[in-house]
Amino acid sequence: MRNALAIARKEMLLYFTTPIAYVVFFATAFIGAFFFLSLTSEFQRRSMQFMQFGSPEGMGWLNLTDMVAAPLILNMGVIFIFVVPFLTMRLLAEERRQRTMELLMTAPIRSIEIVAGKYLGVLAMLAVLVALTAIFPMLLDTYGTGASGGGAIEWQTVGAALAGLFLCGAAFAAIGLFVSALTESQVVAALITFLVLLLTWVVGWKAADAEGAWRAVLEHLSSVQHLVAFGRGIVDLRDLVYFLSLVVLGLFLTHRAIEARRWA
Amino acid sequence: MIEVSQLTKRYRDLVAIEDLSFIVEKGEILGFLGPNGAGKSTTMRILTGFQPATSGTAKVAGFDVFEHPLEVKRRVGYLPEIPPLYPDMTIAAYLRFVAEIKGVPRGQRAGEVERVASLAQVSHVMDRLIANVSKGYKQRVGIAQALIGSPDVLILDEPTVGLDPSQILEVRDLIRSLAGKHTVILSTHILQEVVATCERVLIIAGGRRVAHEKLSELQERHPGKSLDEIFLDLTSATRTAAPARPAAAA
Repeated sequence: MRNALAIARKEMLLYFTTPIAYVVFFATAFIGAFFFLSLTSEFQRRSMQFMQFGSPEGMGWLNLTDMVAAPLILNMGVIFIFVVPFLTMRLLAEERRQRTMELLMTAPIRSIEIVAGKYLGVLAMLAVLVALTAIFPMLLDTYGTGASGGGAIEWQTVGAALAGLFLCGAAFAAIGLFVSALTESQVVAALITFLVLLLTWVVGWKAADAEGAWRAVLEHLSSVQHLVAFGRGIVDLRDLVYFLSLVVLGLFLTHRAIEARRWA
Repeated sequence: MIEVSQLTKRYRDLVAIEDLSFIVEKGEILGFLGPNGAGKSTTMRILTGFQPATSGTAKVAGFDVFEHPLEVKRRVGYLPEIPPLYPDMTIAAYLRFVAEIKGVPRGQRAGEVERVASLAQVSHVMDRLIANVSKGYKQRVGIAQALIGSPDVLILDEPTVGLDPSQILEVRDLIRSLAGKHTVILSTHILQEVVATCERVLIIAGGRRVAHEKLSELQERHPGKSLDEIFLDLTSATRTAAPARPAAAA
């Protein structure tokens, strides 16, 4: 565990000495702000409409949590499809290309600790990205008021959504780590990871056309579909199992890939 | 300290080393010679636990490399052919990281990093990024990295590549000063280096051992010849031949 933390710290250091951390933080904050602005102006337009037509029941379901905060967090899940490959591409591909894998593999540490350290490093970066996303609902909570007075944000719902976002990112990162173990090229690692993550998103579109069992299977495979329930404030065991099994599978395959390379 | 017996490594249809056996006593500096592609780096990678062997055994300090890899890795400092450096780290941060993964206790890390940095003479460039220092410094950081934790066994794959003549002399002095306390395997193409630093030589060619004895004995067996000539004679058989195939070798 101590060795895994040493590697995680090294990964964090490298994220910040290379421009990757800054670019990823900037991109996430910028795109988040863009979504935030368009969602709040849409909210404003709707509430003006309802007020004009005097529709009290409309005003009842119009709230900042379901109209702004939750959709924003779901959108960030899609943004993670673009961002996570940049965080994971370097992890093992670069160790191999720079021949530093030889240092890690001849140090008195297990390869499982290498995998754990690398993964913890990405998780720390993901935690920062989720924290950046959390700033937007915090702004709403500070400056807005709820329909019945009090805070504008239902924190249980937003908290579940943020936890879901983190889990979704964690699953993506495990896939990215595995892909990074397969190649020496960062660009190839990023592109293949992006492709796989994109596939887990668009497979949900096909579900709409499919019928019967296929529909259920395709819906279950869709990563964004599983995030949607978290956005409603529902933490379903099925969604947890989906993300966690991706994490376990990704880490297991990464470990296998590292071991297999030694025997080649 | 190091016992290798009947070690064989095959890569698909290529035999890298074949039935290699040798022993290195504690405190000895062994010069490991051979033409390019003779299997030197492969042997070293097996001894450090980086790669498994196809058959045969290798033991370091009594521990089998395959069965107790962590015990072996704790006792071995290794400088690979290409120094394993992170270009985006400073030398200080890099050495600290290596000290951490080699299990140097927290309280001793700073002192240990300082010690190896001064041995390898990189103390004055500790805050520079590795990407920005010359090849000679990179090589010396690689040597410093191998010395961290003062391991019983040092395995150095061509440690003087890329150094200028005065640095080569310094590194040779450093290696000589390690004798007695550390067991060293030193691979090189430079024959003078062996004369300057080693007592015993192990020469391999085409993955097989062609000589393993004291330097003085080697010269007695081939009277009137320089070490260069002896080396060329011993390795000439494989020099022109294509790499051995398992079918041919079996």
